[in-house]
Amino acid sequence: MNKKGLVTAIVCTLMVFAAYFAWQFVFFDYETNVYTTTAEQLFTIDHLTKLVPLLIIGLLTAIGIVACIVVRNHLMRRDTLRSPYATRRAPSSNGRVRGRRVSAFMVVRWICMVGFFALMVFGGVLLGVRYAWISIPVLSCPANMSQLTEASCYYLAHLEELASLPLMGIMVFVASTLGFVLVLGRVLCGFVCPMGLVQDVMHKIRQATKVEGIAMTERMYQALVPIRWVMLLLMIGLSFVGGNYCNFCPAIALTPVAAGLSVSLYASGFLMVFVLIASFFKRRFFCTICPLGYLMGLAHRVQPFRIKKDCTACTECGACYEACPMGIKQLYTEREQTDVTDISCIMCGECVRCCPEDCALSLTLFGKDIYVSKRSRVVEGYRR
Amino acid sequence: MAYADAIQEQREQRRRQRFATKSMHMTQKYLHRMRDLGGTLEQMEPFFNALERIYVQGLDVERPRSTKTVGTYCVQVPQELIYAAGARPVKLCSGHYTAFSIGDDVVARDACPLVKAIAGFEHMGTLPLYENCSLMVVPITCDCKKRIAGLIKEKWPVHPLYVPANREDEDIEHYLDDLYQLMHMVSHVTGQDVTYESLANALNLTGYAQYELSRFLRIKRTTPNLLYGTHAMAVMNASSYLDAGVWASAMGALNDELERRARANELVSRKDLPRIMLTGSPIVFPNLKIPLLIEEAGGMVVADETCMGERGMSDPVVPVDASFDGLMRSLAIRSLRPCPCPTFADNSQRIYRLRQMVRDYHVEGVIYHVLRGCLVYDYEFRLVEEELESMGIPVIRLESDYTDQDVEQLRIRSEAFVETIKLKKGPLKANRG
Repeated sequence: MNKKGLVTAIVCTLMVFAAYFAWQFVFFDYETNVYTTTAEQLFTIDHLTKLVPLLIIGLLTAIGIVACIVVRNHLMRRDTLRSPYATRRAPSSNGRVRGRRVSAFMVVRWICMVGFFALMVFGGVLLGVRYAWISIPVLSCPANMSQLTEASCYYLAHLEELASLPLMGIMVFVASTLGFVLVLGRVLCGFVCPMGLVQDVMHKIRQATKVEGIAMTERMYQALVPIRWVMLLLMIGLSFVGGNYCNFCPAIALTPVAAGLSVSLYASGFLMVFVLIASFFKRRFFCTICPLGYLMGLAHRVQPFRIKKDCTACTECGACYEACPMGIKQLYTEREQTDVTDISCIMCGECVRCCPEDCALSLTLFGKDIYVSKRSRVVEGYRR
Repeated sequence: MAYADAIQEQREQRRRQRFATKSMHMTQKYLHRMRDLGGTLEQMEPFFNALERIYVQGLDVERPRSTKTVGTYCVQVPQELIYAAGARPVKLCSGHYTAFSIGDDVVARDACPLVKAIAGFEHMGTLPLYENCSLMVVPITCDCKKRIAGLIKEKWPVHPLYVPANREDEDIEHYLDDLYQLMHMVSHVTGQDVTYESLANALNLTGYAQYELSRFLRIKRTTPNLLYGTHAMAVMNASSYLDAGVWASAMGALNDELERRARANELVSRKDLPRIMLTGSPIVFPNLKIPLLIEEAGGMVVADETCMGERGMSDPVVPVDASFDGLMRSLAIRSLRPCPCPTFADNSQRIYRLRQMVRDYHVEGVIYHVLRGCLVYDYEFRLVEEELESMGIPVIRLESDYTDQDVEQLRIRSEAFVETIKLKKGPLKANRG
């Protein structure tokens, strides 16, 4: 067994162990958990005090990131080739590469993400929980009972509870979840998921501070595949062996806390810190191992949103692969098929945004172009 | 003894003199032929002047006195790095016949003429463009380039840049390391440090050139016959000797003129001339005989896929990550991945690029140019021929050397090629009528 395989195996074992005994790792403990909030409680002093776990997470993340940078700079001193440039890798503020223009698609995507984040945190309280019967497959933790809709992940992680529901409940759950998966698929990851938003925000912070990230290679992505499988197994199977996946899932440390609930955080709190640090250095890190996202991706062959490619227009410049947060290589290597939608594609549109060839890549809905790559978008900003 | 030495020295001096005059005449002749073709635009003058400045007036590139020049070969050397270190990159791949005739005696018989011409200039030492270089960056692409790195290192400091044969993720990582090394070397020569700011500014500078080039290509694509392909190639060649910003602003002025002419429908030739694409071995000024012959024979070179032509710069750098390493990475990726150079082991992407160009420019015939001894391009001819034949596009292989002796033979072949395309088009027009 090679070294990389060994590391992956150890990580997987540790994950299983941490997930099973998740409740042993106390991050922030409340004596009694409260799963709902009222409109009066929002934006009050009481609400602010409830945000303490988030502040701790933020603080730990900041410390973690700084520690990573310090360690990396220290290690780099031994690298004779790059050590003279170690200082350049520290945050600097001068200089900016002009170039790309803001596109409407990206603005819409960000508005969607922020809007849905607000809805998933406060929606139920402000607009009423009348949509709560809908199960939407995003990682917006259902521990927040007063969010706009139900999230599918709870029943997926507790299948035996799903089985104990009345038949109507099961049918509504299956129908709404399947409906969303078939119609939107992983568009939900790119546009709706609150976990996606915080990860993208971390990425933006890194871009603004110009800290060097981790450039993932194909082999590194491959090493993540077994971890994704273990995550999936844990999510589906943990409830059958007496564990609770929710104590492990990092999403519980996000929307419920922001909504001002008193929900005890166990391993998930630590995991959230890790996810934030990781997504700072590698964009959308958690999405590459997200079990729910993988399940949604299974529908990638039928969903109406697709990434299309004009294989002749492509110059194999690899800008799309470089930009893709999910590391989908076939975007630029594919030379025959016009459809390059991948199981891990989250429809974030980054590949289309960075593609410098006219019409080489496009994001389509029912065959209609929504977002098409353009040379001018890539170079127009340099104009003088 | 001293007397004999002096005689020798004098002889050598005279030989250099003769060489300089001869090479000046040679360049002038091609500049004249280019102008005689007609259809030169007012805004092309800055480009022609730049070529004239280097090869006819025998001056170095225009630059502040303190700026050092770094000679580069091939398109895989990121010019941005050299600008970032405060130096001026010049592309030294040569197309000079006079220098070739000298180099012919210096390097191996079967070496390609491009390398022989470089060796000729190195041997004679008369051209300031070469003489003033503070560093030579030679990417190890083909065998001849590898040899030239060894040949010129006695005269100039040389940095051989290892170019991987594949373009996988690991190769990019290796190449990135090599680029760091190159950056180190260049800033050592200039005494200027590469900072984030200087690198970003360099990217903005070449990005500006990219922007104007993409505009130029778009205009050329949408309105055919706005300018002769020979002139377009000369304009591209001039970028080797001009500052990217200067080139870009001259290009901007040219684009404005072209747009104006497109609106007024002022074309340089009849619309129904055979539309020919040129591809294959590098075509470097002043070796413009092939495009000249085609256009003198009544064809139009509507596109070229050669590395000193449009291809050299047509792929923009796409910085995805804003960090310093991210910018370096985008340079490494741009230099390797989109480059359709046949020195890469798998170069099937060139076929797709040709297909795309045939589609974009409505090409009716392809001339595949092979410099004598340029094996890598010769290897690819068969693949290109098969592909183009399946598309119904006629293609011929023209082999040439850096000499005027084969001109008549080339003329006959290119004229015949242009005529066959005309014949093919003839009945079509009749049907339409």
